[in-house]
Amino acid sequence: MMKKADDIANGIRAGDLRSISRAITLVEDLNSLTIGREIIKNIYAGTGKAGIVGITGPPGVGKSTIIGNLSSKLKAKGKKVAIIAVDASSPFTNGSFLGNRIRMQGNLYRDGIYMRSLSSRGSSGGLSRSTWDAVRILDAAGFDRIIVETVGAGQADLDILGMAHTIAVVLAPGLGDGIQAIKAGLMEIANVFIINKMDRDGAFIAMKDIEDSLALTPQNEWKIPVIGLDSMKMEGYDDLIAALEAHLSFAAKDKGNEKSRFFHEVKAALLMEAESRINSLTVSSMSGITDLDRKIRDKVNPYTVAEEISRSVLDPSS
Amino acid sequence: MVDGKSQSLFKDKPIKVLLAKPGIDGHDRGMFVLAKAFRDAGMDVLYAGLLPTPEEVIDTAVNEDVDVIALSLLNGAHLVVFRKVADLMKKKGIDDIAIVGGGTIPDSDKPKLEKIGITGNYGPGTPLKTIIDHITERAAEARSRKLGIA
Ligand code: B12
Ligand SMILES: Nc1nc2c(ncn2[C@@H]2O[C@H](COP(=O)(O)OP(=O)(O)O)[C@@H](O)[C@H]2O)c(=O)[nH]1
Ligand SMILES: [Mg+2]
Repeated sequence: MMKKADDIANGIRAGDLRSISRAITLVEDLNSLTIGREIIKNIYAGTGKAGIVGITGPPGVGKSTIIGNLSSKLKAKGKKVAIIAVDASSPFTNGSFLGNRIRMQGNLYRDGIYMRSLSSRGSSGGLSRSTWDAVRILDAAGFDRIIVETVGAGQADLDILGMAHTIAVVLAPGLGDGIQAIKAGLMEIANVFIINKMDRDGAFIAMKDIEDSLALTPQNEWKIPVIGLDSMKMEGYDDLIAALEAHLSFAAKDKGNEKSRFFHEVKAALLMEAESRINSLTVSSMSGITDLDRKIRDKVNPYTVAEEISRSVLDPSS
Repeated sequence: MVDGKSQSLFKDKPIKVLLAKPGIDGHDRGMFVLAKAFRDAGMDVLYAGLLPTPEEVIDTAVNEDVDVIALSLLNGAHLVVFRKVADLMKKKGIDDIAIVGGGTIPDSDKPKLEKIGITGNYGPGTPLKTIIDHITERAAEARSRKLGIA
């Protein structure tokens, strides 16, 4: 049975997995928008302690496998780790196969690690909103490290990554010529590069290729490391952890970063407000628009009408 | 009961279902058939892989907060194993995740499973639509409880 927002928030702060899990459901489902928000408002002051790591890259490069291994290693080092993985859903049926879990299942079962799969259904804004809320919930629950897997393509995915302190981009040999395009798109957001599948042919060439491109790109005080992993043999993980932890400390010192994150959070909340108000508009409420009939008759263009409505929707005082 | 009501219930967040074979049973073809059918029906589908324990199935179901656990066994151990899952759920006080069963289940066992809340219990040859409708119906109950609108 559903408990009240306050009970769930208390459960989250106490680290109770069922409260955490239920809260994530409630922020995912717009049917429970109100209670979902109450929960976030209640716990928000307790967020901001976790290091949030985004792991992104094209399908099949080994992100889920890496996250499984990495979280076991972090756990062995005494960190409390939680995982969120976003799976692509079919745009036709809205359904999805949440396959990320399978790849890390062994680690999850063995080490008792909390992992939650989210699907990128419906509205793109909805996914990044619920992912941010899920991260807040895990943060308030006292996890030290929250790892988020995305495929890094599309606006919703990039929005999700906006909340990470540290972004690791994963590539692997065998991506063919496509690697150039992928690399270009993900180059700007990477704080750490991972070349996975070092056991495969072409791995050292792929690694050299990234190192060469980085040498040509102007960088700030943070020098982007390139880490090679063989995830079948568990090789390279100590270097990976050192690089991620170094960047988390680097990011924590950057106050401008904090400001831009908060701005990002407020902007997302505002977008949602606007979206829900716009979605609540109906043909009958549209008739409240002055002179609707005349506008139709005179073929006033929709942009002009929208500008008029946006003034009244977003700024009722004007 | 795939009516307008459950369509709007799942409009924003689809039905989430965990497929699991909690026992020594390597017959996984049915799992892939069901996984694809559920996904094509618009559900979010998780698969617990081969040989999870009943405890692992419930941990996964809770962490993912699924609407339905779909238990499958073709090895004849359903009465013992399905019951174990149902008992553990009861012990943990979980009443908003539904359990649906299937596989090679003799008709005479079905009432025993129904009695402990495990419904469906469909075997080979069941039309996929029948299975999907039943999952949808049980998911609607579970989700309504989660959202407190039951
Ligand atoms: C193919 C098969 C195999 C293949 C499996 C390949 C694989 N990777 O899946 C192989 C050859 C490996 C195999 C091995 C064995 N098999 Co075999 N096998 C079959 C067979 C012929 C078909 C199963 C199948 O794939 N059906 C197709 C799929 C799509 O259907 P399905 O799994 O039944 O699932 C459908 C429904 O049942 C339902 N459903 C299933 N689960 C669920 C869950 C829910 C929640 C819902 C709603 C619905 C649902 O929906 C599905 C889709 O329509 C059956 C006989 C039969 N007709 O069922 C025997 C059968 C299951 N096997 C049997 C046995 C005994 C074995 C072995 C022990 C040795 C042996 N004697 O052959 C080994 C054990 C293997 C192991 N480790 O578990 C027996 C089980 C007897 C029992 N229940 O006591 C059966 C019934 C044959 C028999 N009549 O004796 N087997
Ligand atoms: N050879 C090799 N295969 C790997 C390695 N890491 C992962 N894989 C395999 O790559 C495939 C895709 O892995 P997955 O983690 O699902 O990739 P994701 O789509 O990026 O999350 C799986 O078959 C893994 O077993 C590695 O280091 N070497
Ligand atoms: Mg993955």
